[in-house]
Amino acid sequence: MSEFHSIDSYRPRSSQYQLLPFRFTELDDKRFVATNLAGEFLVLPKEVVPQVIRHELPTNDPWYVELRARHFLTDDSTSIARDLLAIKLRTRYERLAEFTSLHIFVVTLRCEHSCQYCQVSRQSDNKREFDMSWDDAERALDLALRSPSPAMKIEFQGGEPLLNGDLIRQIVLEAERRRGPKQLEFVIATNLALINSEFLAFCSAHDIHISTSLDGPRDLHNRNRPRPGHDSYERTIQGIKAVRTALGRNRVSALMTTTEASLGRVKEIIDEYLAQEFSGIFLRPISPYGFAIRTKSYLKYNTDRWVDFYKEGLEYIIDLNRQGLPFREFYASTILTKMLTSRDPGYVDLTSPAGIGIGAVVYNYNGYVYASDESRMLAEMGDEKFRLGHVQEHSYEDIFLSPKLLEPLQDSFAYSSPMCHDCAFEPFCGSDPVLHWALYKDYVGRKPESEFCRRNMAIFRYLIGRMESDLFVRKLFLGWANRC
Amino acid sequence: MLKLSGPIEPLTPPKDGAGALFTITTDPSLPVAIRNRFALLADGPVDRTGYAAQLVRSTGPGVWPRDSRLYRLPEHFAYLASGDIVFLDSARGFLHTLFRKHSPHNSILLTEQCNHYCLMCSQPPKTPDDSHLLRRAFDLVSLIPSDTVRIGFTGGEPTLYGQGLIDLVRHMKAQLPHTSLDILTNGRRFKDREFAKTFAEVAHHDCLLGIPIYSDDPVRHDYVVQAEGAFDETVQGILNLKRFGQKVEIRVVLHKQTIDRLVKTCEFLARNLLFVDHVALMGLEITGFTRANLELVWIDPYDYKDVLSEAVAVLNSYRMNASVYNHQLCVVNRDVERNYRRSISDWKNEYLESCAPCARKNECGGFFSSSKMYKHSQHITPFPG
Amino acid sequence: MKAEITFDAAVFSLDAVKAACYRLLDRFSPEIELDGGKVVCHLSFDESVSPAAAELLTSNLRKEVLDQDLRLRLKVETEPVRNLILAHAFSKTGLIADE
Repeated sequence: MSEFHSIDSYRPRSSQYQLLPFRFTELDDKRFVATNLAGEFLVLPKEVVPQVIRHELPTNDPWYVELRARHFLTDDSTSIARDLLAIKLRTRYERLAEFTSLHIFVVTLRCEHSCQYCQVSRQSDNKREFDMSWDDAERALDLALRSPSPAMKIEFQGGEPLLNGDLIRQIVLEAERRRGPKQLEFVIATNLALINSEFLAFCSAHDIHISTSLDGPRDLHNRNRPRPGHDSYERTIQGIKAVRTALGRNRVSALMTTTEASLGRVKEIIDEYLAQEFSGIFLRPISPYGFAIRTKSYLKYNTDRWVDFYKEGLEYIIDLNRQGLPFREFYASTILTKMLTSRDPGYVDLTSPAGIGIGAVVYNYNGYVYASDESRMLAEMGDEKFRLGHVQEHSYEDIFLSPKLLEPLQDSFAYSSPMCHDCAFEPFCGSDPVLHWALYKDYVGRKPESEFCRRNMAIFRYLIGRMESDLFVRKLFLGWANRC
Repeated sequence: MLKLSGPIEPLTPPKDGAGALFTITTDPSLPVAIRNRFALLADGPVDRTGYAAQLVRSTGPGVWPRDSRLYRLPEHFAYLASGDIVFLDSARGFLHTLFRKHSPHNSILLTEQCNHYCLMCSQPPKTPDDSHLLRRAFDLVSLIPSDTVRIGFTGGEPTLYGQGLIDLVRHMKAQLPHTSLDILTNGRRFKDREFAKTFAEVAHHDCLLGIPIYSDDPVRHDYVVQAEGAFDETVQGILNLKRFGQKVEIRVVLHKQTIDRLVKTCEFLARNLLFVDHVALMGLEITGFTRANLELVWIDPYDYKDVLSEAVAVLNSYRMNASVYNHQLCVVNRDVERNYRRSISDWKNEYLESCAPCARKNECGGFFSSSKMYKHSQHITPFPG
Repeated sequence: MKAEITFDAAVFSLDAVKAACYRLLDRFSPEIELDGGKVVCHLSFDESVSPAAAELLTSNLRKEVLDQDLRLRLKVETEPVRNLILAHAFSKTGLIADE
């Protein structure tokens, strides 16, 4: 039997090591978050970073071993890191090749609610010229089916899309007829005030999913979302129950919108979602479009207050899970998928390159094509910056190769943006050229002044900080990351 | 513990010739035309001609056959049954049991040569040329009944045969088209893309390659297998195998030199090798080099049960298929029971006396005989009824 | 209120100083100039910023310049391997022509 060698025989012969590409950003006073080329993070004591970059870290230092194993550096004991990083990087970007997977059809602008934050102008019941025509819908479907994406989601929006329910039916039937090998998913974003059993039967027959709005407990919801009769909440709850009965427990999801009135009440809002048997909640910030800017409601609270709202909500949800009640926060889940896996969660509002056009596209009620939902909201405010064309006048190539799409995509690419370029959180973040244009009249904005940046960095730091300090949270978040 | 090889007492003058493979039968009336493929197992000599050999439990009364070789079987071969396949080395008077019909998993040892020297190797490598084992394997595969569910190839390192191994796999596919194949290998040979491609072209219907990775730290992995550069080549081999659509299982043996980074190793697997088909977390067998390196590798599994729980939780979170083998139920936490397999291969497992009253004995894999004899957890506790 | 902070141009690149100032743009307006072998930053703070806060921000800027310097060094050193890995990553997806 020959001798066994100690571990020293297998350590690198030289103390020289090669750095692999990585970025570092402050987590708190004492620590940096470092991310490697594949977007995997490692939390390091601040003093380690200058040491490793200056090639002064000894090869038997525990942090050295960690950095090598996690693909932040390499040495003569191994050279497989490059291949593994390349594979992981490719996996992260794989979905890009599938191109546009979310196609939004705005079937009408009419709506009987007058929500204070509404991002499209409401129009009165009577104006039929605010409905999408079948002719335009057909053309839009032509364009949608041109997408190379093997799985597509068609989402019906408005106004209140059920006010043009007939068109929805026509589009669904036609899409199913023509889809070929594509997998199709249908969603209707509706306030549910007008749902009836007949329409539910149609939804059941065609596997249609419902997405509705639930802002919180009754008083909050009704205050945010007035309608004649002041019964938006009651109708929503009734509608949710009806959908569950007709279509199944998981066929309805809800979105909440945060307003000034919501701040301070996050636990009640979450409790409402629990009571309505939802499996999770998406704690959203207010967006600055449409009514929100006109009524100045977005100025009423700033990022820091919203971040406090978010953290309080997330802590409450973590505690619910500790008690054995499974409940998820969906924004965190999306980010965690990017932090802890190489998968793309497919959330078009937080990606780089931006999701405009290449992730989602909007066919408006009037036949105009927009690069995103926010783009058409901007248009309602008078700014047609992101209008890509018209379904009757422009071809698929005209629209998707339009400089109006390509320019903001290029200019807002996060890796190339000042500050984003160096930011360790960039792999988890996104560029939002439409939002930045709306607020700052620039696709990128100045990141140090950007509310988008401030908000997201606060969340990234918070999620990582919690995982580092609490094993339960780490396990919980790992579960969420893999559920997306 | 079953002894698969041993001397047998020749009762007739030994004849020359190389050893050969025979199927065991207890039927003295097989058609004459096929008797020479069989070794007749009986209590005493049987007056029947034509069998390649007769293996008797005692030499009591009975007419000794004139043409067969007659051997007396030591007591420890009592497990032999009809359908088993043995290699009878008549020159040396040795019998090797190579296939047991009633075992759920038969392994064929292809070589004892290896390019690793693992600290805990249960089959310590030997250098002499033993390619006769490969040739014997071809013959064995031809004899194995076609309703066999699963066969394993082990070593040493089977890929040292290169094309020879590929040919054997092709032979397996042709002879046993309904039998699954597991191959234990360090995977390094597959870093050669052409080799991986040629292997894949055999297109075996159900082949799984079981490949060990002992750490996310290349230095530690290389140390455990005692081979520089092993980690890189193994990972490269796995990547190539996956490129060509082969099924791969990652095996991690849990001991003192691998347990500290176990959770990180599982995270490494989830982030870098998510596409593997299975991950096996295995308890230590106290044979071979393990005994020589006991100080270095022994850790009571009870002391690492929380680490094991965390590691399993990571793999489960990432939806990787994972199993825990070779542990007793009382030394793991409840939360790994979903992944726990009652596995120790049937010819090796046993229980302690203190296990007698255990209410969950029939759910537990028990011990390797070697563990029972030399070293096992100090925390073995029967579950109350 | 205003503050002035100087960096030795032989030790810290202009790019590092600019990048550091950019990061802290929401706290002050910088004016940067080269004076002999020195990079001089004139910082104008908002009226609402107290002297103590200004002091803290100035010291943050110093730390940030150090970090930026490290980042630049890291970037230069790893640029070749980064390009290699990217080329490898996208070589089989058809995102690059002639695959």
